[in-house]
Amino acid sequence: MPTIHENSASMNKRLSQLLLLFVAAFPLWLYAGEDAKLPEQLPANLSWQTNLSDPFFASPEAKRGGRFRSFITTFPLTLRLVGPDSNGSFASYMRANHLGLVGIHPNTLNPIPELATHWAFGDDGHSLYYRLDPDARWSDGKPVTADDYLFALQFMRSKFILAPWYNNHYNTVILDVVKYDDHTIGILGSVAKPRDEMLFEYSISPVPAHFHKLDENWVRDYNWKIAPNTGPYVIDTIRKGKYIEFRRKQDWWGNDKRYFQHRFNPDFLRVKLIRDINIAYQYFRKGELDSFPLLMPRLWHKKAQGRIFEQGYAGKIKFYNSVPRPISGLFLNEDAPLLSDRNVRYAIAHALNIDKVINTVLHGDYERLQTAHEGYGDYSNPDIRAREFDLDKANRLLNDAGWDTRGPDGIRQKDGQRLSIRVTYYSSGHNDRLVILAQEARKAGIELSLQLLDPSAAFKQILENKHQAAWMAWSGGGLSPRYWQFYHSDNAHKPQTNNVTNTDNPEIDAKIDAYRAATDKVSRVKLAHELEQLVFEQGSFIPTFKVPYTREAFWRWLKLPDFHGTRSTDSLFDPLGSTGGLFWIDSDEQQRVDEAKSRNKALDPVMIVNKRWAANDE
Amino acid sequence: MTLLRNPVAQKRWQRFKQSRRGYISAWLLLVLTTLSFGAELLANHRPLLVSYQGELYFPTFGAQHSGKDFGLDIDYEPNYRELQKQFRDAGEGNWVLMPPIPFGPLENDLIAGDFPPHAPSLTTRHYLGTDTSGRDVLARLIYGFRTAMLFSLVLLVFNYAIGVAIGCMMGYWGGAFDLFFQRIIEIWSNVPFLYVIMIVASIITPGFWTLLFIMAFFGWTAMTWYMRTATYKEVSRDYVMAARALGASGSRIVFRHILPNSVSTLITFVPFSVASGITALTALDYLGFGLPAPTPSWGELLKQGTENMESLWLVGSVVVAMTLILMLVAYVGEAIRDAYDPRKFSFYE
Amino acid sequence: MLGYFVRRGLLIIPTFIGITLLVFSITRVVPGGPIERMMTQAQLGGEAGSLHRSEGGGTLSDEQLEELKRYYGFDKPLLSSYASWLKQVLRFDLGLSTRYQDPVWDIIKERFPVSVFYGVTTLVLTYLVCIPLGLLKGMYHGSRFDNLSSAVVFLGYALPSYVIGIALISVFAGYYDWFPLGGFVSDNFEELSPLAKAKDVFHHAALPLIAYLAGSFAVTTLMMKNALMDNLSADYMRTAAAKGLSLGKSVRRHALRNSLIPVATSFGNNISLLIGGSFLIETIFNIDGIGLLGYEAIIERDYPIVMGILVISSLLYLIGNILSDICVAIVDPRIRFGGGSR
Repeated sequence: MPTIHENSASMNKRLSQLLLLFVAAFPLWLYAGEDAKLPEQLPANLSWQTNLSDPFFASPEAKRGGRFRSFITTFPLTLRLVGPDSNGSFASYMRANHLGLVGIHPNTLNPIPELATHWAFGDDGHSLYYRLDPDARWSDGKPVTADDYLFALQFMRSKFILAPWYNNHYNTVILDVVKYDDHTIGILGSVAKPRDEMLFEYSISPVPAHFHKLDENWVRDYNWKIAPNTGPYVIDTIRKGKYIEFRRKQDWWGNDKRYFQHRFNPDFLRVKLIRDINIAYQYFRKGELDSFPLLMPRLWHKKAQGRIFEQGYAGKIKFYNSVPRPISGLFLNEDAPLLSDRNVRYAIAHALNIDKVINTVLHGDYERLQTAHEGYGDYSNPDIRAREFDLDKANRLLNDAGWDTRGPDGIRQKDGQRLSIRVTYYSSGHNDRLVILAQEARKAGIELSLQLLDPSAAFKQILENKHQAAWMAWSGGGLSPRYWQFYHSDNAHKPQTNNVTNTDNPEIDAKIDAYRAATDKVSRVKLAHELEQLVFEQGSFIPTFKVPYTREAFWRWLKLPDFHGTRSTDSLFDPLGSTGGLFWIDSDEQQRVDEAKSRNKALDPVMIVNKRWAANDE
Repeated sequence: MTLLRNPVAQKRWQRFKQSRRGYISAWLLLVLTTLSFGAELLANHRPLLVSYQGELYFPTFGAQHSGKDFGLDIDYEPNYRELQKQFRDAGEGNWVLMPPIPFGPLENDLIAGDFPPHAPSLTTRHYLGTDTSGRDVLARLIYGFRTAMLFSLVLLVFNYAIGVAIGCMMGYWGGAFDLFFQRIIEIWSNVPFLYVIMIVASIITPGFWTLLFIMAFFGWTAMTWYMRTATYKEVSRDYVMAARALGASGSRIVFRHILPNSVSTLITFVPFSVASGITALTALDYLGFGLPAPTPSWGELLKQGTENMESLWLVGSVVVAMTLILMLVAYVGEAIRDAYDPRKFSFYE
Repeated sequence: MLGYFVRRGLLIIPTFIGITLLVFSITRVVPGGPIERMMTQAQLGGEAGSLHRSEGGGTLSDEQLEELKRYYGFDKPLLSSYASWLKQVLRFDLGLSTRYQDPVWDIIKERFPVSVFYGVTTLVLTYLVCIPLGLLKGMYHGSRFDNLSSAVVFLGYALPSYVIGIALISVFAGYYDWFPLGGFVSDNFEELSPLAKAKDVFHHAALPLIAYLAGSFAVTTLMMKNALMDNLSADYMRTAAAKGLSLGKSVRRHALRNSLIPVATSFGNNISLLIGGSFLIETIFNIDGIGLLGYEAIIERDYPIVMGILVISSLLYLIGNILSDICVAIVDPRIRFGGGSR
């Protein structure tokens, strides 16, 4: 299970679509007003922008052809993009084939055209206008028009799709979509925001109006229907419980677009179901899978060894990227009696020997996460360092807090109560990290008693604020950090919110409100830095680990561009998505490897470490 | 102990001893179990004896000593292996006597320059290596064995007590009572066990006793079927009829006649119940629904082993240990069966 | 006696209701139902970073939660929703899986061939090996053969089947390329000739079968051996010996049939093998069987599937129990079921 989990974040590939799915119930005063409307005529004074000047990020040497074989550990339960069970690990393949209006350039992070060629901003600060690419086609050959966007809004707001988060989002964040002509639309967002953020949040993906029939049976009827899409691949075969195969659209409308050139090279993608990660590695070793993710230290150091690597038939690559890191760490519930004392929270932070865990069970591969929001470029506050392991400090803090006597078991006591903190976690793969932390914390007289629950049970406990400390990770992402949902008192002391630390601090509240109201980047960055400092002083989130790279093993016939990947690459051999599709299959090389293998001839071993984007991270 | 004094039992005991393999296995098992109950003296990070400035300390049991007691400037428990080295180097007559395996089951001993799991080595004194967080495999095997053995023995007592009582009543009274409990048992044996564990786990961290009660709650049914059938058999025998005709009360018939006759056979099931108790706990731990971390357990080791097949000592030691114990148990079971079955092939020997 | 078994048959009904009602209520109590699972999936992150934010966050209004509850059928009180479920079952409708959106019956049916194949093959092979082995062990009790085979059988019994499975697949499918790396049949199964199909199935089945079988020998072999030894000491064997029959002959002619009886009585319970299968072995060998389906349904809280499998397995179990009782009654006429002893 841990393996699946650690890769799951990297499987969310489709950028714009996912970005806009971030939902938070906005307080009413932030609304643009009930009567906010898009003008009936397209405003004349719009300044249309596009971006065809950023460097393209694929290799002209790429060759089309071949079949790329990868695996998933659970078979998808549906091919729908929304609705129940549409969020499994296979969903990324489906979503990546549904393009958005604009994409993000993975290196410059500037907007680039996808389904829209041009975009423009309205005067009110929260409306956007898009010119659609007239070349864009659904996979059944029908053109993509403004009507598909109007339908998308209706679709996403429909009760029949059983997707309440989408319903919310397309009611409260996207207020309206208007068609001006077949290839021009306007979108009204809820509040004014910085322009780059708006482009991704006030966006909508088209839904083929001619394909869907919305009624109460939609969820069931469309469960296994292959919907027309706009991306480079289309599903060719489904063998339930075995594999799913995609076919490259030979005359895909995007073939010659600037940022799509030389990408999405294999003719076929076969995604095979292999339930056990150890068995999956055996498939890779036999050459029945082309690449294999090696993020976990155990896999990289111990598993991926042996003949195929020594003889150079397969290679390994470690590629540093620069993307928002998941917010992973220990979340202390300030409403729990023991943890309401700030000194105790600080002491716990000083008693967690994160470095020891990194240098032992994690093979020195992971790094210490310093703050909650790393990898957001300017928004991240580089001056804050997480509290280091320091028993003296921990002891002093605890003595000050009145926990100054130790019981016969070495655990501190106060008024007959033991300083014992229950740590809720949900991945048995984290056992070895937590037992080391617990052992070390004993030295400071703190007992961490570990409670492993299965993920849904753990999450339920945490969301109901019944936890003391939660060992968990929130997925990162987006262009700038989010504070309201995690730290605002609006969300404290009540169940079903993301403020699991129950932080309730007027100073933080005020800053968060200011941050949310600000629209220019400079003041937002300044506020974000101040907020991060306040969060640090609050001490209820103890950051733990981050993995600033992606690692994979691959057979030699897979070729990457010279630069290997982009700043935002989270998976090098991702055949799809906004940063994916850069590699290609070299059939001559495949023959050479097969020949060498059968004659037991050695080739040069391949071991690549690319740190081009490493320094930019922090 | 009337059971042992009666001549039938003595004969059985003789026969049991004659079955060499079973007899030796029984002894081995007994020794291993006894040893494991003294595990603190075998594998521990606390020493058996410390002599510091002329005074003797016994840190194994009792309150934890802080480093200050031994002249160190720390107020947590010292690393006694290092203390031993320091005392030896200082040569001031202080000394530390460590157990044969100088590691506790919960202690992470992380060797600089190498990543866990560490391979077995005589110099580091990890005779079976360490697990993925640097804990001594041998120490964890010993403590895990103790937990598993204790667990299955207590479970056995619970299961047999409940199962025999209810089974006897079902067989003796029969009729509506029998029918009712049959239904109960049938219902019971169909409940998805994992759900119950999940529900309990979501409310409290399942500890040793919680887990035991849950298992006993569902485990007693197996014995009941056997006892019910056995009681039926006995009840229809002539001697029970005779006893009843003589006016013996129901409880007297059950306790004097039926129980001794059927319970004796129950003993043949004991070894297999022990084995199944051990495997059940191991399986639960393997799936992550068992005892909470960091409790030493075979299931957790097995899980680590199957995930880290490259580190063969992990899966190797736990599989060997499990095979060994279960084989010993099975041999004992075989011998007990032989002992209860006096019939030999007198005709073809 | 006949009346007893008729009554037993009728009693299946209340028992069945008891079982399903109990489990149905449990599914209402288990934390992390489909709705909570939906929320979990959306929010938990891993360790690797990415530019993309995943779906979710935020809270749902009560109205929306109600909507979801209605969809998953949690809006009605326990007993009335149980009643409507039961009514459906009586019409042979097990409902729709909340994860697959397909009818539960279809999903289970799809996996039947796999489970039946492994169940029946394991059963047949177990009997084929255990009966002769048990006989030989009984006839030559205490010999070196007996000791050695005991060691082997117990070894198989003691080794966890999933460990055997992983070891087998790593060595014989990973290292030596003798067997495929799991699956029930090849991807191109449909295109094969019937003979090649059979070969393909067994080629895939060899390793998992070994893993299944390794642990199953011990019990039946010992049962067989003990039964034979009971009979060897019976009076009629003395007669046979006196007549001058050799050991082999007298076993074949007299003891064998009687010794098979206890093995036969346990046969009734074996019908539940039809939907058996260990999910661990199925995971390792990538087999889409009912064991895995059931386990995943429990873990992922797909209650209609859990209940569907329960309906089938409990019926098989109840019928199996009666079959066992019938066997016992036939074998040992002294037993008076149900009559009590008053």
